[in-house]
Amino acid sequence: MHLTLNRRHFMGVMGAAATMPMMSRLASAAMPFTFQASWINDAEFAGYFLAADKGFYKEAGLDLSYLSGGPDVIPESAIIAGKADLTLTTPDTTIKAIVEQGAPFKIIGAQYQKNPIGIVSLAKNPIREPKDLIGKTLAVPPVNVISVEAMLKISGVDRSQVNIVPYAYDPTPLIKGEIDASLDFTTNVPFTIKQAGEQATSFLLYDFGFTIFNDTVVVTEETLKAKRKEIVAFLKASRMGWEENLKDPAIYPKTFADSWFKGTGRSIDNEVYFNTAQKPLIENAKGVYAMSEEAIAANIEALAAVGIAAKREHFDTTVLEEV
Amino acid sequence: MATETAPGAPSGKLKGKSGFRHSSAIRNAAILLVAWEILGRFKLVAGGALPAPTEVLVRFWSDRGDYPAHILATFQGASLGFLIGNGIAILAGILFAISPLAARLGRGLNVAMFALPPIAISPILVLTFAGMTPRVVLAALGCYFVTMSATVTGISQTDRRMLDVVRAYGGGRFALLRLVEIRAALPAILAGLRVAAPAAVLGSILAEFGGGGRFGLGVYLIGSLGRADPARLWGIGLAATAMALIAYGIFSVIEARITRSTRAVTVAATPPGRRAEGSRLSSIAITLASIALPFIVWWLLLKILGTPAMIAKTPAGVFDYLFIAASASSAQSRLLAALGQTLPMTLIGMAAGLAFAFALALASVVRPGIVRSFMPVALVTQTMPLVALTPLLVLLLGRGPSVILWITISVTFFPAFVTLAQGLGMVSRGALDVVRAYGASPWAQLRLVSIPASLPYLFAAMRLAVPRALLGVMIAEWLATGTGLGNLLNQSRGYLDYGMIWTVAVVSVLISVLFYQIVILVERHVLQKHGMQPAA
Repeated sequence: MHLTLNRRHFMGVMGAAATMPMMSRLASAAMPFTFQASWINDAEFAGYFLAADKGFYKEAGLDLSYLSGGPDVIPESAIIAGKADLTLTTPDTTIKAIVEQGAPFKIIGAQYQKNPIGIVSLAKNPIREPKDLIGKTLAVPPVNVISVEAMLKISGVDRSQVNIVPYAYDPTPLIKGEIDASLDFTTNVPFTIKQAGEQATSFLLYDFGFTIFNDTVVVTEETLKAKRKEIVAFLKASRMGWEENLKDPAIYPKTFADSWFKGTGRSIDNEVYFNTAQKPLIENAKGVYAMSEEAIAANIEALAAVGIAAKREHFDTTVLEEV
Repeated sequence: MATETAPGAPSGKLKGKSGFRHSSAIRNAAILLVAWEILGRFKLVAGGALPAPTEVLVRFWSDRGDYPAHILATFQGASLGFLIGNGIAILAGILFAISPLAARLGRGLNVAMFALPPIAISPILVLTFAGMTPRVVLAALGCYFVTMSATVTGISQTDRRMLDVVRAYGGGRFALLRLVEIRAALPAILAGLRVAAPAAVLGSILAEFGGGGRFGLGVYLIGSLGRADPARLWGIGLAATAMALIAYGIFSVIEARITRSTRAVTVAATPPGRRAEGSRLSSIAITLASIALPFIVWWLLLKILGTPAMIAKTPAGVFDYLFIAASASSAQSRLLAALGQTLPMTLIGMAAGLAFAFALALASVVRPGIVRSFMPVALVTQTMPLVALTPLLVLLLGRGPSVILWITISVTFFPAFVTLAQGLGMVSRGALDVVRAYGASPWAQLRLVSIPASLPYLFAAMRLAVPRALLGVMIAEWLATGTGLGNLLNQSRGYLDYGMIWTVAVVSVLISVLFYQIVILVERHVLQKHGMQPAA
């Protein structure tokens, strides 16, 4: 595995070399570092876009390559394959892979202290808490089904009383009433629903016992050893980007309109809504990404309810101490 | 020589008729558009989830700044994949047609490549390659089987008498190929390219979903999905369709010209040559090698690419996952439960898709105008990424068996239809003239000449339909119903359950190969009775 990973890295460098003419003047001695995002370019990654635009990564000595994500991109796979050095994940899938398949991952930080995933419904057919789901149809991306099952279990709702169907990230069936609720980012979909002339109601899984982080910062153990300096530099620059971006969430999204957000098909108003809604979920008195012992314990407890045996050792808080 | 340079039918009559066909096709298309506009405007379909064409146009105009970069990126991936995939396919088709041994050895590999579910291999491709490569590979894979089998069909249906002429003048293998077989196969190859063009566009878009790139119609679609804006989704889908339609149109025009100059005037009286069979022992050895070859290639590719063992499961890795590992029994029971849901729907969907394709192909002979105005709709179903239509489909059809059935028919019928229509179109003019001279109606012509003569194409269509039906069912399960193999695959991807991802891919290929073999057995039996040779 050691040898293979190196070969992948080598190919990655070769790939980067192809884009060298553009980058060479900026990055003479910079350390190459690749970041795999977990979704398409939207406000969820505003902090990284800002850090890149403001030159924070360059100042930290990094030559950053940014890989966008999407529904079919499995972020963890990108770091196993050596395509990226660091990625953002959901802690449930990451820890499941560590426990069940011996995947060599370490969680070294958390972008969202509170998972933004929640149950979104229409105000005219509101679902305000888990027990309102009884007898209703809920659309859930297949990967999140275990999270929903955990939330239902913790809230004492029988799984068989909720009709769970696949969710393909399009809110149209919800707006048209084909489904009663969907599982999605509460920081994003309510805006779309409002645009379509409806009002949304939502609650976080987090507030009903499924107390996990989201966009956990994950690296492989090997990368953690080999590139610790780069990882610390990345977290430091990214934290600066997030802090600047969250000062006033309405300012920066429009500066990305013709660069990072170009051609995504989403409006800047949508990104401002998202950026504003995510602020309380990201901010932490100890700095962005911080993972307190209580929060880690809450994650372990919540994951135990889904049958995922998370342990303290899956989280590594020592990297952030160096930031 | 048994080819003609001028159309056999009186030219004046033909011209008048085709002029009439054109105007009726335009009239039908206009009726279709107006009906669509009314349905969309008054929100008559699924509470307004079907946007009117004018709404799509308005949206397209306001999004016009976004499109060029996305269209260019998809065009690059699709066209490069189209060139590479078809280049390999034609060479392989020639090899398989002139060497029965290669054909038998390569059959396992061919069917396996065709049956690979794109939704399963797209994430694997994205992990293994960088940049545009996954798009190119998926587009090329979408083209390969169609064009390869079309090439083999074309060459193997060559009129024996023409080969005899070249042989009599001392022509060798290469001369036969160059002077007769390639020319005879050209219409079939072009028909293959015509089907391959939309497949290349769709392949590129599918890889874009998972590629994480910035541009491409697939990327644009993903970004737009969450906006609950059907007009935008239809705009993107129709842009993809327009790309495919242009490619389809170009190859149709070329095909029509070439076919006219190579059609047989008379019926070959000699029965087609029989394939020489070796001893029973060597036959078994070849069959075993054909089965082993896909596994060897699979294993070799992973070794060469050096993908980490956790992601890339070798044949031994899949066996271990399914039979030896501690979680094997859980994996088995999940797989069997999923198969129990998927298999019955696959059989029903395949039968329905073929029946529809056959009816449409017959109608294209009797009522070409109606079929021609239906073709844009048919192409939309081929190139419109199904994920864009999911809200409309679930609103119209619910989330039960009917949505599975309709999606399966829509992904199955098109290649089958093209193959069948081509078979009906290649019927010898001489044979048709005989029944025409006796005053046979179009239906009687079909019944007495066209249908029996196109039997090899019916079986070829059936073989094309087998893996596609399974893919259609899996797509529907993944997008709408949350059942069966499709859901298992999607869930496993999220859980990083690579063993199950590979298992589902392998099992779906094995099922396709099994059905394929059954079709072949029936085909051999039926065609031998009619003194015909299988198409490819």
